[in-house]
Amino acid sequence: MKQKTSLPAVFLTPAMMILAVLAFVPTVYAIYISLQNRELSRPVGDFVGLANYIDLFSDRRFINAIGVSLTWEAVTVGMTLIVAVGLGILLFECAAPRMRNMLALLFLMPVILPRVSAAFVWKFAFHPLYGIATYPYKAITGQPLDLLSNPATALATVALVDVWQWGLFFAVIVLKLLETLPPQPFEAARLDHARTWEIYTHIAIPMLKAPLISLAFVKMIESLRAFDLIYVMTRGGPGITTETLDMYAFSQGFIESGRISYASSMAVLMMIATSIAFTFIWKRVQ
Amino acid sequence: MNAHMLGRVVGRILLFLAAFSAVFPVFWTLLNAFKNRVDIVTPTPLFIFTPTLDNFAYVLGRESVFAGLINSLIISGASVLIGALLGLPAAYAIARYPNRWSGDIQFFVLSLRFLPPVAIAIPLMVIWLDFGLYDTRLSMIVTYSLLTLATVIWLSVPAFARVPKEVEEAARVDGYGPYAIFFLVALPIALRSLIGAVAFAFVLVWNEFLIALMLTTSDAKTLPIVASELTQLGRDVPWGILNASVVLLSIPPLLFIGVLSGMLNSAFKRKTS
Repeated sequence: MKQKTSLPAVFLTPAMMILAVLAFVPTVYAIYISLQNRELSRPVGDFVGLANYIDLFSDRRFINAIGVSLTWEAVTVGMTLIVAVGLGILLFECAAPRMRNMLALLFLMPVILPRVSAAFVWKFAFHPLYGIATYPYKAITGQPLDLLSNPATALATVALVDVWQWGLFFAVIVLKLLETLPPQPFEAARLDHARTWEIYTHIAIPMLKAPLISLAFVKMIESLRAFDLIYVMTRGGPGITTETLDMYAFSQGFIESGRISYASSMAVLMMIATSIAFTFIWKRVQ
Repeated sequence: MNAHMLGRVVGRILLFLAAFSAVFPVFWTLLNAFKNRVDIVTPTPLFIFTPTLDNFAYVLGRESVFAGLINSLIISGASVLIGALLGLPAAYAIARYPNRWSGDIQFFVLSLRFLPPVAIAIPLMVIWLDFGLYDTRLSMIVTYSLLTLATVIWLSVPAFARVPKEVEEAARVDGYGPYAIFFLVALPIALRSLIGAVAFAFVLVWNEFLIALMLTTSDAKTLPIVASELTQLGRDVPWGILNASVVLLSIPPLLFIGVLSGMLNSAFKRKTS
């Protein structure tokens, strides 16, 4: 590969140019709009400096949205990993190869579904009167169970759908990771009469630490895209109990007031926060 | 029966429950898509009923759903094509001609995934409005190309890196130029993984929701948007029609489940050898 060739330049330049333009132009534009007072109904705006940003910090809905988003990240990332490691180990321990492959295929199904579909499937399943998931409760107690309209359970219920999609998918990846481990440490531990759970907590999981951290990283990024689920299932409600940052930015920019500049300042802050956080984590993971 | 056997039985039951939870809600939606409204709105869930094709007929006959389907096919298809045509060569260059920027380029491509979609969608909406291209297929294709291009590059770099170097070396000794090696050697050998990468990009943009919601209002609405609007209908919700449109929306991605699972397998096979 040492000879001089035009190939890298010819192959890389168009793709990188397009990516750079498509990534930088919106980013710069977002900052530009966020310094104005533009609204959807009014195409031209004046520069207002940092007023939008200052307003944000006294906006209780914004503060609430930060809290909801952080809770969402923590719950979905944590639960996804717990489900993935648990089911991954069960697949490895309890299923014969043919059954493993079949289960792996089934476990992939939820994550491939469009999120809108997944959200609807579960929204209907949790319907208080006709839902299949709430039916057992209704049949036993005679009371309807309305999880999505209850402020105490709404966010957890939506999170359940997210974990349904990603936990099962990551379980398949954990299984593949376990399959790549050398068998010798396991056999040695068995000879020492280690219990099965001890083998996993002391040998397998420590050996898989790096890939598991990468999985957590991927899930953290994916959890930022919760919008579709929340939009279809609760629209941020009841009240603002499931209103994440992207949901709030969307409703400020589109539904309620069309305050595009205000929404943009939120978007800029989100961009800065996620870029810093993920660059930091990425460098650590590497 | 000792504790170990018992553990295995409990484990299998848990696995069975997980598999059931993965499949049953989807299966139930499929069943409901073939039910009349009276069979859905029942106090007790019905498994036995007279199936009807009315819901699908209604959905496919509805102009908005049909337009959404066409839009989704054109927008996803075109952006995936752009992503593959430009992304595959770029990924090959990154994998085979590393230079001092390769690491930065890969990080840049990945960092595009960090950007919250809402943060891209808001400025893009203003940009497309200013250009007079808001709510057009063209603006959607351009916007989605950002997603497909980044995804195809990200997933194809390892696929090209897995092509044995010796094969390419041998081709060069036989007098193949660098371009011929890419088209005639690397591309065919890595094809299976590359199809997986492209399929993944397709599923990603087919399923995409937030950007489409913000960048379209009527003419260029994609199928997920049309389907989500059906779920927001008033009190007298047409459940059967809704289920049918969800089924319709989910079929294309599910068609790729085999390809994607194959990609997953080949991605992890390497490490064992």
